[in-house]
Amino acid sequence: MKNYKYAVIPMTAVCVVLGAIIGIQFKTVKNQPKVVDIQRVSELTTELKSVSDEKDALYERLMESQNKVREYEEAQSDVSEAVKLLNDELEKTRMLAGMVGMKGRGVIVTMNDSSGNKNPNVDQNAYLVHAEDILSVLNELNVAGAEAVEINGQRIVSTSAVRCAGSVVNVNGVRIASPFKITAIGDPNTLESALNMSGGVVDSLAPWGIEISIKKSDNVKVSGYNGSIQYNEATVDKE
Amino acid sequence: MVYIIPVIGIIVGIVAGIKSPYIFPQVYSSYVAVGILACIDSVLGGIKGMTEKNFNIGIFISGFFGNALIAVAMIFIGEKLNIDMSLAAVVVYGSRLFQNFAQIRRFILNKSEKKDNI
Repeated sequence: MKNYKYAVIPMTAVCVVLGAIIGIQFKTVKNQPKVVDIQRVSELTTELKSVSDEKDALYERLMESQNKVREYEEAQSDVSEAVKLLNDELEKTRMLAGMVGMKGRGVIVTMNDSSGNKNPNVDQNAYLVHAEDILSVLNELNVAGAEAVEINGQRIVSTSAVRCAGSVVNVNGVRIASPFKITAIGDPNTLESALNMSGGVVDSLAPWGIEISIKKSDNVKVSGYNGSIQYNEATVDKE
Repeated sequence: MVYIIPVIGIIVGIVAGIKSPYIFPQVYSSYVAVGILACIDSVLGGIKGMTEKNFNIGIFISGFFGNALIAVAMIFIGEKLNIDMSLAAVVVYGSRLFQNFAQIRRFILNKSEKKDNI
């Protein structure tokens, strides 16, 4: 019987430890976020695909409709002088809103992720082009008097947003990836020197090895904004 | 009656664990789960040893920690080799758990039936 009594103490000690581990594990499992099961993932993938297909189809229809509107406008402008004036005014307004493509002198800024640093111990994030970098280039171009700017075919208008979306960048709700091609219409020399000034955008990105090249051109093209801007809350203040 | 004390110990441990502010990192969740299994196995092994009167504290304590460590190491290697080694641990410890429990059960039932034996 001696054996028996002396076993109880280590047994109890071990049981307390075991119980504590079980308790903590129980809590850990309870706090675990619900794992999305494979079926749900494939369901969502299918849904995403069908929705994006639908989006593409709708986009095509939008383009068709816009072309049709253009055609009608042009057809009407032959009819009377008043309509022609109205159309000219409309075209000007579209231009101000950034809804039409434009061309002229300007610069093409290409930003590419750094290729130099492949050391896995260093945070690779610092060597990628971020939305903030694009925004600072954009800002600098606007300060230097850029008249029309687009990023990878996405025209920057009054409602445009540039933000990080994982490993890509979201502009106007469209995902774009590196290399980023920023096209700006304006005085090429002013635009270039604004970016290149010492302590400016190019200087601040240089230490990270981000490849940024500025090409002046006499004929750059900027496409029009192809989304729609809707005012749900805002109304005109007539005071 | 002495059997009650470890049971109280385990309950106290669980309550303390749940009340404590600590949480295991999610990544180690599977390691801890198999570790727990190994620990339960050695506790039952210890009880079995008590029933057979060959309980050895050295074997018990080294089994408790050793089993847990081996289980964790096995899972770690399995993860590196892309095999789910936790299955092996679950099967082995699970079956041993049942065996040990069966022996304990026999011992307790025998004890109550033939009191004069002990």
